Amino acid sequence: MKNSQHNNHVRSKNRNTVEEESLINQKLPKELLLRIFSFLDVVALCRCAQVSKCWNLLALDGSNWKKIDLFDFQTDIEGAVVENIARRAGGFLKKLSLRGCQSVGDSALKTFSQQCHNIEDLNLEMCKRITDITCICLSRNGRKLQKLDLESCSNITDESLKALGEGCPNLVHINISWCDIITERGISCLSRGCSKLQTFIAKSRDSFIDNECISHLANNCPLLEVVNVRGAMALTDDAILRLAQSCPNIHYLCITGCCNLTDSTLLALAQYCHKLSTLEATNCSQFTDNGFQALAKNCHYLEKMDLEDCVLITDNTLTYLASGCPRLEQLTLSHCELITDDGIRQLGMAPCAAEHLTILELDNCPLITDASLEHLVACHNLQRIELYDCQLITRAGIRRLRNHLPNIRVHAYFAPMTPPPPVGGSRQRYCRCCVIL
Amino acid sequence: MPVVRLQSVDGEVFPVDVEIARMSFAIRNMLDDLGVQDNDAEEVIPLPNVTGPILRKVIEWCTHHKDDPPPPEEDDTREKRTDDIPAWDQEFLRVDQAVLFDIILAANYLDIKGLLDVTCKTVANMIKGKTPEEIRKLFNIKNDFTPAEEEQIRKENEWCEEK
Repeated sequence: MKNSQHNNHVRSKNRNTVEEESLINQKLPKELLLRIFSFLDVVALCRCAQVSKCWNLLALDGSNWKKIDLFDFQTDIEGAVVENIARRAGGFLKKLSLRGCQSVGDSALKTFSQQCHNIEDLNLEMCKRITDITCICLSRNGRKLQKLDLESCSNITDESLKALGEGCPNLVHINISWCDIITERGISCLSRGCSKLQTFIAKSRDSFIDNECISHLANNCPLLEVVNVRGAMALTDDAILRLAQSCPNIHYLCITGCCNLTDSTLLALAQYCHKLSTLEATNCSQFTDNGFQALAKNCHYLEKMDLEDCVLITDNTLTYLASGCPRLEQLTLSHCELITDDGIRQLGMAPCAAEHLTILELDNCPLITDASLEHLVACHNLQRIELYDCQLITRAGIRRLRNHLPNIRVHAYFAPMTPPPPVGGSRQRYCRCCVIL
Repeated sequence: MPVVRLQSVDGEVFPVDVEIARMSFAIRNMLDDLGVQDNDAEEVIPLPNVTGPILRKVIEWCTHHKDDPPPPEEDDTREKRTDDIPAWDQEFLRVDQAVLFDIILAANYLDIKGLLDVTCKTVANMIKGKTPEEIRKLFNIKNDFTPAEEEQIRKENEWCEEK
């Protein structure tokens, strides 16, 4: 029986101090107080640390500081706080998020990496002051590091990736989005040292990620499952082909803004990446029905597809998706201007429609009419539909849809009754992020 | 339903369904070690660390929760949630601090993870949202810091307070 002895022991030890000593300290042994403390958040722990000497030791015990998220305190977190926590937590700390803690710099993270050598998951998103020194320290002390988020740490250079490649062989997840001075050389070092990488995220506007970068990843990181190269405008089909051939486990791919890609990319994914469940391909405007035909035929696990601005696709793509992708949950067809009611009819009759489809974005599909909404009445799981700037959709049509799907959120906009005076030039568009009901 | 008899330190004997008694891993191990037969109702299991009133509470809790799914394994990734205490348990644990701490000790000794968690969460909820001074008052804890120490520790921890 565990801990059978302490109970009487503690009681007798404290018998003569009963008057002064508090019941909780008198009755409960340290391990049970620590168990109570294990349910406290950082605020409560910091307050317990101020109660008494005994509680100070208990509250600062490393076992309470295994997982810490300081995002809520971002403006209050100075380097000294991080160093203090690092000393409290020591080898216990496995997961730390300093997301948004912009005052934290290299010296605090140097102390941290020396104290907390068991860290597995470190989020430094928006810690804009850190430089390569932080990553060099991590590489010296953080052999257990598995997840590292450096999003928007804009001082990070190839030197950081080189250090991580040398010192962090267990890295499975890295996010270097918006670290815009990284080059192909850094990716080369990282991919050679971190061959266990499963998640590679490098979003950017006009990204440094080029074909060579992807080649390095394809050659060295066969376990990749999640790849996000949003904004890698220079990428061509060759790169995706190589990636798909080498990394058959890819289930999430974001190639949004990679506007040089053509149907060959979709054919490569169809041939090699049968586990694909999410494809984000906004602005891949050269994709056509042919590519999606192959994809739908081979990638039956597809759940989320963002095809905004894939302007060449027609109802045929919807026919293929309807028959090939029974798990489809989210489909974005914004600005796919060739889509008509017939395509939506195919979707509404598809195996995915009744069970899975939860989000359908059809904003700026100008040919869609109320008939489309009629085709969707059997999509019982549909939670949200986007209809901004679908000029042929009427209030009555939306009302009829709501009669069948009472909980659906419909985002649409109807112009004021008195039409504004005609203006020359392009018609006004409403930003998709504006929720105008 | 087969029954075992649990005897508290003050000599009170409680007949309990085996299935309910086995929610305590300590009792479960004892029964397994003793090779107690299902219908061996004469067997008395002495529990030298639990008093009658507390054992009665523990059995009441176990009886109410006998059909619960087994609690998840110890896991560092578990969330520090304390807002998931069932209403029945909240009412059940509306007791003096002394009784609450005794239930914690009994749950620990008898190795009943579900009860240990819910009681520890209850104490955690008593602590949450209180200032250091309020916590001292709640548990009658003496502030044994010197003023200088207190100031130092307050400074170290002030980052988590709203400005």
